Amino acid sequence: MFFYLIKRIGLSVAVIGLVVLMSFALLHLIPGDPATIALGPRASAETIDRFTEKMHLDEPVWRQFLIFAGNVVTGDLGEDVFSNRPVTQIIGENIGFTLALGAAGLGWAILVGIPLGCLAALRPNSALDRATGILSVGTIAVPSFVIAIWSLLLFAVTLRWLPAIGAGEPGNLPDQLAHLILPAFALGLGWVGYLSRMVRASLLEVMNEDYIRAANAFGLRPGRVIFGYALRVAILPTITLIGLGFGGLISSTVFAEVIFARPGLGKLLYDMVSARNFPVVQGAVLVTTGLYITFVLLSDLIIAWLDPRVRDAL
Amino acid sequence: MNAPHLDIRGLTVDFTTPTGPVHALRDVSFAVPQNSVTGIVGESGSGKSTVLWSILGLLSANARVRRGEILFEGEDMLRKGTDALRAARGQDMSVVFQNPMASQIPVLTYATQMRDILYRKRDLSAADKRTLAVEMMERVGIPDPARRIDQYPHHFSGGMRQRAGIAMALLPRPRLLLADEPTTALDVTMEAQVIHLIRDLATELETTVLVVSHNLGLIAEMCDHVVVMYAGEVVEAGPVRELFHNARHPYTRALLDCDPARITRKTRHLPVIEGSLPDLSAPPKGCIFAARCPKATLHCEAEAPSAQVSGGRHSVRCHFPVTEKSVPDAPRILDAPHATPPDAGDIPLLEVPYLNVRFRTMGPIRARLNGVADPFVDAVLDVGLTVRRGETLGLVGESGSGKTTLGRAILNLTRASAGSVRFEGREVRNLPERAFKPLRRDMAMMFQDAIGSLSPRKTVRALIAEPFVIHGAQDRDLDREAERLADLVQLPRAFLGRYPHELSGGQARRVGVARALALNPKLIIADEPTAGLDVSVQGDILNLMAELQREKGLSYLLITHNLPVVRHVSDRLAIMYMGRIVETGEAEAIFNQPGHPYTEALVRGVPQPDPDQRRTAPPLRGEVPSLMNRPRGCDFAARCPFAKDECRQIKPSQSTRADGRVIACHFPLI
Repeated sequence: MFFYLIKRIGLSVAVIGLVVLMSFALLHLIPGDPATIALGPRASAETIDRFTEKMHLDEPVWRQFLIFAGNVVTGDLGEDVFSNRPVTQIIGENIGFTLALGAAGLGWAILVGIPLGCLAALRPNSALDRATGILSVGTIAVPSFVIAIWSLLLFAVTLRWLPAIGAGEPGNLPDQLAHLILPAFALGLGWVGYLSRMVRASLLEVMNEDYIRAANAFGLRPGRVIFGYALRVAILPTITLIGLGFGGLISSTVFAEVIFARPGLGKLLYDMVSARNFPVVQGAVLVTTGLYITFVLLSDLIIAWLDPRVRDAL
Repeated sequence: MNAPHLDIRGLTVDFTTPTGPVHALRDVSFAVPQNSVTGIVGESGSGKSTVLWSILGLLSANARVRRGEILFEGEDMLRKGTDALRAARGQDMSVVFQNPMASQIPVLTYATQMRDILYRKRDLSAADKRTLAVEMMERVGIPDPARRIDQYPHHFSGGMRQRAGIAMALLPRPRLLLADEPTTALDVTMEAQVIHLIRDLATELETTVLVVSHNLGLIAEMCDHVVVMYAGEVVEAGPVRELFHNARHPYTRALLDCDPARITRKTRHLPVIEGSLPDLSAPPKGCIFAARCPKATLHCEAEAPSAQVSGGRHSVRCHFPVTEKSVPDAPRILDAPHATPPDAGDIPLLEVPYLNVRFRTMGPIRARLNGVADPFVDAVLDVGLTVRRGETLGLVGESGSGKTTLGRAILNLTRASAGSVRFEGREVRNLPERAFKPLRRDMAMMFQDAIGSLSPRKTVRALIAEPFVIHGAQDRDLDREAERLADLVQLPRAFLGRYPHELSGGQARRVGVARALALNPKLIIADEPTAGLDVSVQGDILNLMAELQREKGLSYLLITHNLPVVRHVSDRLAIMYMGRIVETGEAEAIFNQPGHPYTEALVRGVPQPDPDQRRTAPPLRGEVPSLMNRPRGCDFAARCPFAKDECRQIKPSQSTRADGRVIACHFPLI
């Protein structure tokens, strides 16, 4: 177990190192002067000079990289080109909104999708099973921004039940929660479909296993057989899926954040790419990668905790 | 005679399938007396498992019980509601399953699984339940049960798992214990232990046992009463001695005759039951066995016989029951002599002076961290063997003995770490695949899993012709070749258009034989060629292999754990234990007088299909030790009934006898 953790953390560091290298290389592989690229064509000579000095662009490339990597290790992701605020601070302000949106979106998808998948698996080919089947495919197939726009139009504009944009007043929790509902709904709907399909398929497979027959032959209550035995095994692949889902949060939240004009990492990344604010983009990409690796590792550890065979193989 | 504990009357079950109903059970009636062990014996498709699941009320969703009663202690299980039925399961009646690998949930500890089984005992605290569970684990012979009960099934070896399975079944103290092929997944030495364990515990706990099996040896060794089923009907039932010594139904006779363990004289030609099971979607009007019965008359085909009872308890469903005694071993079959006797003088076809295969158990960094000096196990250790032209060498060992690894290493499918493999005098060990490929024409493999080793997306025709495609013999007419081979292995040409999942076990074996034969090999390495086959079909495949050997002068290396089979088809035997060969010699000589104590345990470990030859105790206790901690002395010392101090300290070397027998033992039995 200890050995496994060391190995995984070592691999994670290697992946992050690779991402650091690539995001660094990005600035240098684009043809032209990095300072001009970073600051845009209309930057004054003075700004370019200041930027060149600050980014050590006059140094050899390998030294630049070492300086950059060294800064990353000490937690310094550079400064915003325009406001000169530390990138870590900017990311810190935004990351909470994205995590809240992701947790709410995936959270409700888990709470609805997994039971729905169980129900569908227990009564295969019933009306409920067919309905969830069609709905799942529908919600998976429709892009989440379409759902976002439609729900915005319906619930915020036409019915006026919920606020349309922003993240709510700081410090006002009910208002913030009200602002979370629509984006979380739009983000999670596709996941309801994913999760229910996944749980249905693996539960159906597990229900055919000999040990489920054995549990029935020992007269265990149906509830215990389904939730204590079958789901215990069937949930494992779904956990991997949820881990990947959380890991890929940024790419899935970007639409919701842009459409609902919510602050967050996705929106930040979108804005900063448009504004060519390179240090912030680099920082956000790094944090995103770190989040991804952390969530996938976390889901692997949960699986190891639930499945003794995996635990022993570590 | 005791009152019947379980009384099944006229049970009739259909399965709904897309092509119409299949009449799986028809008018099945038999009684299980209290505190007895009753066995249902039958081949696949006989409906014996369907009977078992009917009793438990756990038939699959497409099953319909048409008629009948299952009276358990006077109450009809078929008329009970689902809740009442569930209350009886795991309380009044319990089950030991066929495959302990698959029937125990991998993610819960035995403590949890056993506590769940006792959930109805509300007056017991969790600690009490645990105590009961630990006691039962101890009773079934699990060492250190208080610690091991907190382990998961994958921490247990196969034999230990089945012991735990028996502990789970007996934990609620059921009055009826059902056992579904309880030893099929186990090795010979384990099988004997499990048979005795179930029998002893059933007597001790006053439990009535109903065991379902295709294994006549197990039935003879374990049961007081026997029910013989064929194609969904009970054809004969009676006390075990009556049935084995005085079988009256032609099917029972044929089944007994087919069992290689009952044929004491060595024969190259095993008896079979001609024909195949009737189509149960439209069962014949007359006797169900008439189509395959050598004595059938028009009357048999026209009218179904009813059960005739003789001597009080022996019932048979036949118009013309056999009357003469069935003595075990009626050698009706003459020994077919070798057309080409193995030539001794020439260079052997396959010669392995010695061969080692090592597997890595952990990565180098982890081994260093854990302080493991040697992170390898020796799966095959200093093994030597020879196969001459036209000869069959039987390689016998329990699971984990390294016999399959050895076969794979000879075929260059697994890398050997040291040693030498000579084929026709030429060194072929660890040749690069390009250099080895031409040799694959001469050395073919028959895989253990007959259906699993065939690509499910190819037709039988394509599968049989595949070796030609692989070896670039495409100038031949592949269709003609496929037909020739199908004829050779007696597979009807109609099957050439089918896919593997449409084949029966025996037919898939024939395809395997045809594929192995395609390129006219000189040597076939057959890994468990009859695994999973019914006795009546097993003979068919072995006869076919023997016939082809006579015609083509083939050599076989037959890898198996099935001793009765290997005896009849092998010229010589090599017995393997923990990666080493402990004894080699002429097959007959070894069977008549085993030299190594392990060989003796294997030979005597097979339960005899004769209730008069019951053993009082299993011949061998304990289990195969892990290869990770190989004993310092003789590998077998820990389980050997004759082991002395010397055996535990010093590895025995191989000594050769005058008759050519090689034994690795300090104190051989001969």
